Amino acid sequence: MIAGVLWPLLSGLIGLALWEGLVRAFHVPMFLLPAPSQIVLTIVQQGPYLMTQLGITMVAAGLGLVMSVALGLAAGAAIASSRLVDRMLTPWLVIAHAIPKVVIAPLFLVWFGFGLQSEMFFVVAFTFFPVIVNTVTGLKSADPEQLLMVRAMGATPRQVLHKIQFPSALASICAGIKLAVTLAPVGAVIGEFVASNAGLGHLLIRAVGDMDTPLAFAAVTVFSIFGVLLWRAAEWVERRVLPWHPSQRDTFLLRDANT
Amino acid sequence: MLAADRIWDNGDRAATSSSSIFLDKVEKTYGGPAGVRAVAPITVELPAGEAVSIVGPSGCGKSTLMRLIAGLDAPTGGRIRIGSRAVTGPVPDIGIVFQRDLLLEWRRVLGNVMLPAEIKGLGGLQERARELLAELDIASFADAYPWQLSGGMRQRVAIARALLPRPKLLFLDEPFSALDALTRDQMNVLLQRLQTSQGVTTLMITHSISEAIFCADRVLVMSGRPGCVLDDIRVPFERPRRLAVRETPAFAAIGRRIREHFEKAGVLVG
Repeated sequence: MIAGVLWPLLSGLIGLALWEGLVRAFHVPMFLLPAPSQIVLTIVQQGPYLMTQLGITMVAAGLGLVMSVALGLAAGAAIASSRLVDRMLTPWLVIAHAIPKVVIAPLFLVWFGFGLQSEMFFVVAFTFFPVIVNTVTGLKSADPEQLLMVRAMGATPRQVLHKIQFPSALASICAGIKLAVTLAPVGAVIGEFVASNAGLGHLLIRAVGDMDTPLAFAAVTVFSIFGVLLWRAAEWVERRVLPWHPSQRDTFLLRDANT
Repeated sequence: MLAADRIWDNGDRAATSSSSIFLDKVEKTYGGPAGVRAVAPITVELPAGEAVSIVGPSGCGKSTLMRLIAGLDAPTGGRIRIGSRAVTGPVPDIGIVFQRDLLLEWRRVLGNVMLPAEIKGLGGLQERARELLAELDIASFADAYPWQLSGGMRQRVAIARALLPRPKLLFLDEPFSALDALTRDQMNVLLQRLQTSQGVTTLMITHSISEAIFCADRVLVMSGRPGCVLDDIRVPFERPRRLAVRETPAFAAIGRRIREHFEKAGVLVG
């Protein structure tokens, strides 16, 4: 248990110490590569400013994510419930996903203008695909015999969706949303590169332009830490939503071998 | 043909007993007229209140026959009636227990038992759900998740779920074939108890000869493909039965009679 925390921690400390030592030993200029201590110092000094910018980025990411999940669930349900919709819509989705989003980011500026709106739609473009794909897979993977059983009980199509298909799909949907959660801030930052004068993405571009490399590193560090926290939060929510799922059981019971 | 019409007419007279089942030249062919014939024309009457077992080898059309009676599948020929109502779609008054328990993993035991009440929009059955769990000796697991239960317990939950809306008919499609021999015996005794206490007409499909006899007042022996009824045997033992009844000569004689049918059909080679 202790070894599980100790070794990764030790490895991280060694890496940082090596970095710090090399930068100091070879007098690497700060604009080229700041030492870890310099980055921490910058984060502390610029704390409120960084947090404000992070907040702006996360608002865009959050709004985009909410839209993406809503869109993904609706489209996924439509595709899963109708073969016609599947055949009509899926090719479009695959093509849309295949388009390199980073390349067309400037187009969002043209379509949606400068600022939050543009960023938000870019996040949607960046994250909708895993949500849709996992929703469709989940809804289609309901146990056919369970479907037959509730049909025998006289369930309406709505009840079948609500009582069987959606709960069966929940684990898969969660996996899709978790992917989207990690992609959304990245999408927001790329959106800010081209279409915003605020947020971490904009801050990065400006810091690099000003040769303020420590600030750029500070922004990236804050962003990464927040990304990890976001992932952990998504996992926490998943545990609350899927307490019954095999992936969430902490005890493994060997039951009768014949079941 | 005459016999079939007679049964159909008898049904009209007996329409008051609404859970009697009438099959008139019922057949089922899969994949068009040139396809596989699963069930040969079968004509039989299953009066209300009778516990019937259908025993036969795998692939003899037993499960298909049950699906036809439950209205989950349409016959390609013949008529089916329950009481005075022709079967044209899923019959609401039947509780079905399948070979797999089909419990919803995301619901606790009580939630699983309550499922039919939610779907049919019936209120006030929570108390009955708890009573059924108590009768099946799993009251203390009401708040457990299905994965925490053993195979036998899971199937008990499935039985409670089927019985919750007080169906007139209980269909069991090879309900215990995934269980070990001891658990299976225990479940047979339990089913006995329920048949009496719940006053439900049961139709059970099995390929265990002794299970078929033990749990029924009447055994239909099916064979072949297309499936047809080879024999129709009365089981005389009075209820409640104990497992020891299986060791009596009379029980053995019925078992032999069934086995001989399978040997003659080439299903069992002794």
